[in-house]
Amino acid sequence: MIRSGPVLVALLLAPLPALADPPALAGTVWVASQQGARLSRIETGAAAVVGDTAVPAAPATVAAGGGRLFLSHPDGRAITVAEATTGRVLRSLPYAGQVFGLAASADGRTVFATNWSGHRVDRISAEDGRVEGSAPTGRDPAHLVLDRAGRLFVADRESAQVSVIDAARMARIATIPVGTAPFALALDPGEGRLYVGNVRSNDLTVIDTARLAAVATVPAGAMPYGIAVSPDGARVLVTNQGAGTVTVLDATTLAIAATVGVGRYPEGIVVAGEGAAARAYVANWFSDDVTVIDLARLAAVARLPVAEGPRSLVLGEGGR
Amino acid sequence: MRLSLLALPLALAATAALAHGPTPQKVSQSITVKASPDAVWTVAGDFAGIGKWHPAIAKAEGSAGGKDGGTRTLTLKSGGTLTESLDEWKPEARSYSYRMSGEPDLKALPVSSYSATLTVSPEGDGAKVEWMGRFYRGDTGNEPPDTLSDEAGREAMNRFFSEGLKGLKAAAEGKATP
Repeated sequence: MIRSGPVLVALLLAPLPALADPPALAGTVWVASQQGARLSRIETGAAAVVGDTAVPAAPATVAAGGGRLFLSHPDGRAITVAEATTGRVLRSLPYAGQVFGLAASADGRTVFATNWSGHRVDRISAEDGRVEGSAPTGRDPAHLVLDRAGRLFVADRESAQVSVIDAARMARIATIPVGTAPFALALDPGEGRLYVGNVRSNDLTVIDTARLAAVATVPAGAMPYGIAVSPDGARVLVTNQGAGTVTVLDATTLAIAATVGVGRYPEGIVVAGEGAAARAYVANWFSDDVTVIDLARLAAVARLPVAEGPRSLVLGEGGR
Repeated sequence: MRLSLLALPLALAATAALAHGPTPQKVSQSITVKASPDAVWTVAGDFAGIGKWHPAIAKAEGSAGGKDGGTRTLTLKSGGTLTESLDEWKPEARSYSYRMSGEPDLKALPVSSYSATLTVSPEGDGAKVEWMGRFYRGDTGNEPPDTLSDEAGREAMNRFFSEGLKGLKAAAEGKATP
């Protein structure tokens, strides 16, 4: 069974039935810094960076699944596999192409990768890097997420669409037109909705995942580059790279409930914790730090320095 | 202008990667100005008026002035044209943010896309101007030629910002000093 995804925070925290393994790594957020080539570990209870690990050069994105972390290296033609408990690098999987977005299966045995300049998505064995299957996408596929039904949703940046792919057959089953330059996406906890951030049209497309159709397009902010959904599904958070802010939208009305100032060039965002403990973690690419936002107060409460160029974050319990 | 040295090999590069690549790079320059922040902002905050102070720009034309959604088209002395649009114009913070909104022009700058923010803030008795941004190299593929590499982009963008700030300083100090 396949589930999980790189920016799919809400899913990770959603109550799921019949899971064998407890969330051994609850409370850990991993941050990948591209220029600094490091993986930093944030303990959410302490709201502090408690360690970091050197990784191969220029990791762009990080995903988690099955106790493993996966990092993409677009310029290095490789995917790094690391231990989700320690961040220790286990191996490097060579990849014939410009890998960007990653999504891992729940058991961590399979990783899905977008090939930015190859205009496709590959299903890859996490053991040996073997490509098990491929499906065409639109032009310049960026991030992707995997739902519990085994469907991949891929943001085809230069085609202004989302490709939907059956991960078992690696066959495209739909394309959904969205705004201009879709980049990041996130499912809500129930997986009935997919939120897609459109970098050039500065808005958010809301997709009904049952009908595989866009149902709304609403303003976000300047250059939306990252999306997360709160564990209760009530809030949608969007990082605005051009403004240095996070827009918080009410999921019911899709109106902007708050705009929170963060660092410069915010990109990746995840939410950890529930209720009053819910915090968003925002990777500020230019500022080389992570902003922590209290979701109850809708205010920034901490800035945590990390290695240069943080772009992507993932929860340690990514396999859930 | 020294930019013309760069333009020559770039003109030969027929195919620019039109899309944003996956590996962004930083550009950041700042300068101190012996003038009040408000006086500096009067010069710097005119989005379409950059041609009055940037030494590498032959001509700047704007539309919609200093408003969100305003655009400016820059013709460089070295050749090449850039079209940029405002994302935010915040006079109360003496800051604006913009991005390249047209197609890349490698004759102008060896990059495929960029966004940037210019901010004027108080510094001692005068002002400090910060100009920082994010760009993608001219060839976003895995094996870019030297002229379209990350390094070439960093050099060109930093020089463009640095020379611009020197020109802004000269213009603002000239204006502020009777």
